Formats: sequence, structure tokens, C-alpha cells
Amino acid sequence: MKKLGWLLSTLLIVLLALSACTAVPQAAAPAAGGEAAGGETASGETAAPAAEGGKLAEIKAAGKIVVGTSADYAPYESIDENGNFVGFDMDLIRAIGEKLGVEVEIVDMPFDSLIAAVQQGKIDAVIAAMQATAERDQQVDFTIPYRMTKDAFVAAGDSTLVIEKPEDAAGKRIGAQTGTVQEGWIQKNLVDAGLTPADMVFSYERADQAALDVANGRIELLLMDAEPSIALAEETGLKILLITELTAEGGKSIAIPDGATDLKAELDRIIQELIDDGTVQKIQEANGLP
Amino acid sequence: MTTAPILRIEDVYKSFGETRVLNGFSLTIQPQEVVVLVGPSGSGKSTLLRCINLLHPPTSGRIWLEEQEITAPGVNQDKVRQRIGMVFQEFNLFTHLTALGNVMIGLTKVRKMHKQEAHDLAMFELERVGLVERAHHYPAQLSGGQKQRVAIARALGMDPHIMLFDEPTSALDPELTGEVLEVMQQLAKEGMTMIVVSHEMGFARQVASRVVFMEGGIVVEEGPPAQMFEQPVHERTRAFLRKITDLDEGGQ
Amino acid sequence: MEFFQDLVTTLNFILQGLWVTIGVTIVALVVGLVFGVVTAMLRVYGNAFFQRIATVYSVIVRAVPVIVIIFILYFVIARFVNLSPFWAGSLALGFASGAYQTEIFRGAFQSVPSGQMVAARAIGMSRWQAIQSIIFPQAVRLALPGWGNEATLVLKDSTLVFVVGVPEILRRAQQVSARTLEPFVAYAAALLLYLALTLLTTQLLQWLERRYRLQM
Repeated sequence: MKKLGWLLSTLLIVLLALSACTAVPQAAAPAAGGEAAGGETASGETAAPAAEGGKLAEIKAAGKIVVGTSADYAPYESIDENGNFVGFDMDLIRAIGEKLGVEVEIVDMPFDSLIAAVQQGKIDAVIAAMQATAERDQQVDFTIPYRMTKDAFVAAGDSTLVIEKPEDAAGKRIGAQTGTVQEGWIQKNLVDAGLTPADMVFSYERADQAALDVANGRIELLLMDAEPSIALAEETGLKILLITELTAEGGKSIAIPDGATDLKAELDRIIQELIDDGTVQKIQEANGLP
Repeated sequence: MTTAPILRIEDVYKSFGETRVLNGFSLTIQPQEVVVLVGPSGSGKSTLLRCINLLHPPTSGRIWLEEQEITAPGVNQDKVRQRIGMVFQEFNLFTHLTALGNVMIGLTKVRKMHKQEAHDLAMFELERVGLVERAHHYPAQLSGGQKQRVAIARALGMDPHIMLFDEPTSALDPELTGEVLEVMQQLAKEGMTMIVVSHEMGFARQVASRVVFMEGGIVVEEGPPAQMFEQPVHERTRAFLRKITDLDEGGQ
Repeated sequence: MEFFQDLVTTLNFILQGLWVTIGVTIVALVVGLVFGVVTAMLRVYGNAFFQRIATVYSVIVRAVPVIVIIFILYFVIARFVNLSPFWAGSLALGFASGAYQTEIFRGAFQSVPSGQMVAARAIGMSRWQAIQSIIFPQAVRLALPGWGNEATLVLKDSTLVFVVGVPEILRRAQQVSARTLEPFVAYAAALLLYLALTLLTTQLLQWLERRYRLQM
């Protein structure tokens, strides 16, 4: 028994060491990206809470902006196999960094930690396909939307459901990502309105987990952002029943510390500029967004 | 006798909560004396030994070790205990150390000796108790008699001025008591002052300079072994000694 | 074969989180060891005041979810002290583990027979010397099995530090899963890594236990 334990662990370690060796040629490149993805390196150094109105100057003085995201939401943000942050939001924030004239450091965190992190000055901004809900707005400030939102109702590939308007989802087992606008809409318009019992609503930490449950029939419908739903549906064999603006509100914005008015003004200006000169459109297409 | 006493116990009381164990105990011991303390269980023998080395400081009363009153306030008790060797019924060897380690640790930690010096002295003490060849054995690998001899060596290593033995052979199988008593006898011959709580009457007869019978926390009667065994004054002493002597002989 | 190809690719990616996981675990265990031993000593040998403080620490910390401690350290304490996410997460885990290690060592200290202390005092050791050179070495040996168990628990709890953005094994597996939508491969890779780490830890501790077993 003891011998077996040693044998097994030694075997595993050797296996790991081997796979690490084969990784060396690739590893050299991602090392830099991995560092940034690490987030344990430098983000702690921005610990000072936002000085009133001085946030922009602070960022410029530091020569970099530390941006938090939750890199599990393709095509907005994810990490490629080399450890680099990729996606629409990532391209956009790099374009914004260029205009700001500072380096962009991206930090990966769970979605639920992002607001707290920006509030406490751990990061300078959040770009995570986040919408400016009233609740969030009380805790942080938001830039103007850089992209208007649509939602999608997603069902299993062999689903016979017909959804022509959002209310057709009444009485179905439905899922959404925890803490999202979609979850809020379900609560308000289906549960509170008495159309769907609360125990038929399911919350998921991540959209891909919800998609798996749709595929295996645990839930009938998933309400999520329209854009990532296209890729998700394609890869998991799900189908999109309806794309609508009715469940969505506003668009995606960048969250910044409460009261950082100078930063907001500057980011708003840059975002408008990038929309006007077609950069946003270009980045959207590059990332397969409609 | 004109020599100064090595130990003077004066009117010592000791209580644990409501229970009074020592009731004004007094005793004076001269250098090189071997005092065997006998008495029924609960008479306060073990408590007395623990009062002498201050493991359980007396509730009242005074004790002098040589010139120093060790019950006086402000006395460094750790220093006092270095001069008083103690051997326990249950040996209490340090289980994580070898026989050698058991003897050495007091030398290095308390007497602050260098390792080599401590090693050599410890080996010398183990030789005194005849256990050099067991130096690298752990307590669990030793017989009861060997354990107790290591415990004696450990106490000797501190170079004590007086040795206290708390029923050193009662936890041993009968066939193992001999080797321990032999070591004690050798110590007595070398002139060590000893107080021994024991019911080994053979040992008392041969080695003791005095036998003290205590009961109820006080000395009932004391005297040389011959007098105590042959013509005790008190009826209680007589009854008690008859009982344990019978047992002693009955056991053989 | 394709599965193994995927698994190796995934392992390469997740492997970068291995060092983070190992680092977090070691820091947390060492911090917890210091907290645990000191607090256990205070509880068993300290005066009434220290006993109370030590008891309050171990009771409260064990009642609070580790994740809350991590949040408090990173989002509240780290406003005043400059702590990186790695250190905030590791220290929080260590602080929490310390409360459990307190109980492990308290039990160990208490199961050293009282005769050991008496014998140590009898050869002139001070209380502190006796604790240091007689009780502690025996208590450590008695604590080893429980401590080994705690070590594997801390290893698993190290996944929690991701909430403040430390990219350890599990988060890297999540990232892969979100990208490839093949959770099985991603989590299988993570499982292999954790299994290897746990086995190795267990082996190491068993070796220590055999090497330093107390013969009672």
C-alpha cells in the first residue's frame, strides 16, 4: 500500500515534469502574458483608494492602468492557450490604453469580486461585459456604454419550445448567470409576476455551466447575453430561440471608482472617439460579434 | 554529631483544597544518611518528597537545604531542584530521547555543558548504573528495571546533594527490583544522602541509617532499623511493620 | 489519443498555476503552524488572560468561512497594509488554518503524560525549558497525523484564493473550460495535479511519522 502510494505519486510527478518539458518552446512566449494574467504581481501596489478626482492623474503617473476582468466569457474575455487575455473587451481596453498613453495590466478575478476590487482601489477599472445596473451604480461609476446589449433565449438543439416574446418563457425551467441583468429580469418579470415558480429558476456561476445543463436537459431555457450565446450555442449544439433587446437594459460599460470624475470624462471621450472612428466596429467583427 | 544537617524540615503543612496531607511534619537529616520512609498509603510520604523539592511547595512551614531556606520567598526553585535528585515510581523517562539523551538533556539545557562534555559525563553516569550498552536504546526498548536505572543516572547527572526516591521499585516485576536496589545500595556506599519511600524491608535493614514511620502527615516514630524492626515503641508502628514484613516474607 | 493530446496541452497551461497553489499552500501552512503552536501553548500553559484570547481566536476563526477571512484581509486590511493578492490570500488561509492547528496542537500538548513535565522540572528545568525541550518535541510527534490531515485540507482550500485574483490550479482549469467548453478535460487535468500533490504530501508526512514515531 505504501509502495503503491509512492509509485503513483512519483509516476504523476514524472508525467508532469515531462509535459512541462514539452511545454518549454511555447512557454517562453506566454511567460510575459502569463505574468500579466497572474495578477499576483503588481495589482496589490495600487492599493490606495481613489483620491477624489485624482484617479486619472494617478494612472498617468503610474504609467499603467490596472483593469479587472473575469476571463471566462468568450468572445468578450477569455484566456487563450498561451495564457494571453483575448476577446472584444480585451482588444477594446488595449485600444483605450493606447489613447490614454498608458500600459494596460489585466487582472483576472471572479465576476463577483470585481466591483469590490474597484471600490477598494485594488484595480483602476473593470471591463467584463458589465452593465451599469442601478445597484452597481450606487457603488461604482460607469462610463458611457461601449456596446448596446441584446439578450438571447437559448434552448437544447432538439427543443420544441417556441419563444416569440420574452414572456413566452413563463413556466419553463430557466437559468441565468448569478448576479446578471438577465437573472434580475427573470426575477422581476417571471417570478415576481407569478408566471414562474421560484424553484424553476436556476443560477449559475458561469454561462458555460448553464449551457451544459441546457444540453443535458436539466433546464429548458437559458437567458444570456446574445453575443457570447452564438459561439456557445454553436460549440455545444444548442439553438437560439430569440434575440431581443426587451430583456436587456442599456449596454456594456467600464466600471471605475466612485467619484473618479476626471477618469470618467476621459474614458467617455475616448470611447465615443473609438465608436465614431469605427474602431469599436472593427474590433467587434474581429471577435465575431454581430 | 557536630556536622551541619543537610536537610531540615520544620513544621510543614500541606493541603490540597480541603484535604490536609501533611500535618506539621518535622525531620532533620544529616549528610550521608539514608532515611527510609514507611507508612500506610495516604500517609503523605510522596507529598513530603514533592514538598522537599518544591514540586508542591508547602502550605506552611519551612525547609532548609544546607544553609539555604528553600521555602523563603524569592528563592530560585529551579536552582534548588538541581541540587535535589528525584526518582519516580513510574520512571517518567523522556519518551522521545534515548537513554543517553535522557541523561544528557539536563546537562546541556540546565547545566549548560557543551555537547561532548555532556556526552562523556552521561556515559559515565550510565556506567555507574551499568547501562552503557543500552545508551542508544529508547525507553520503550528497555525493561522496567533498566528504565529506573536510567532515571537514576539522569538524576545523578545533575550532581545532586541529596536524592529522593519515591517508591522506586513498586512498579517493577519482583524479579527486576534487585538490579535497582543494588544501584541504590552502591550509591549509599558512595556516601549519597538519600530519602527513600519504600516498603522493601530487606533494603531498609541493610542500607538505612534510620527508618521513619509516618502516618496522618506526621512522624509517628523513628530510629535505626534494628530498633524499629525489633522493638518499636508505638503499637501502630508495630502493627504496620508486622503487616509489611509478613507480606515481604510471604512473597519470597 | 486526441484526449491525451488535449490533456497534455491543458496540463501545460494549468501547470503555471501549480506553483501558485504550492506557494499559497506552503505559506498558509507555515503561518498556520506558527499561529497554531503559539496559540495552543497559550491555551494549555498560558495564564487566564492569554487562555481567553487564544480560545476566542480559535473559536471565532473556526466559525467564520475562510472565504470571508480572505475578503476581509484583501479588501479591508490591505487598504492599510500593502498586500498583494497572493499574500493576502495566503495569509488569510494561514490565519484560518492556525485556528484548526491550534486544536490539533492543543490536543497533542494535553496528551503528553503529566509525568514528563514533573520529571523535567525535577532536574531543574524551568517551565519554559520543559515545554521547549521535553513537551514540544513529543507533542509535535503526536500532532503529526492530525497535522497531515490539515495539510491536505489547506491544499484544497488554496483554491479559494482565486476570489482575490490569484490564478491557481482550479481557476486555470476554469479558464480552459470556458475557452474550450470541454470541462472534462480541464477538470481532469486539475484533478491529476491535486491528486499528485495530495499523494506527495501524504507520503512525505507518513515518512515523517515513521521516522519520528514516539515509542510509548
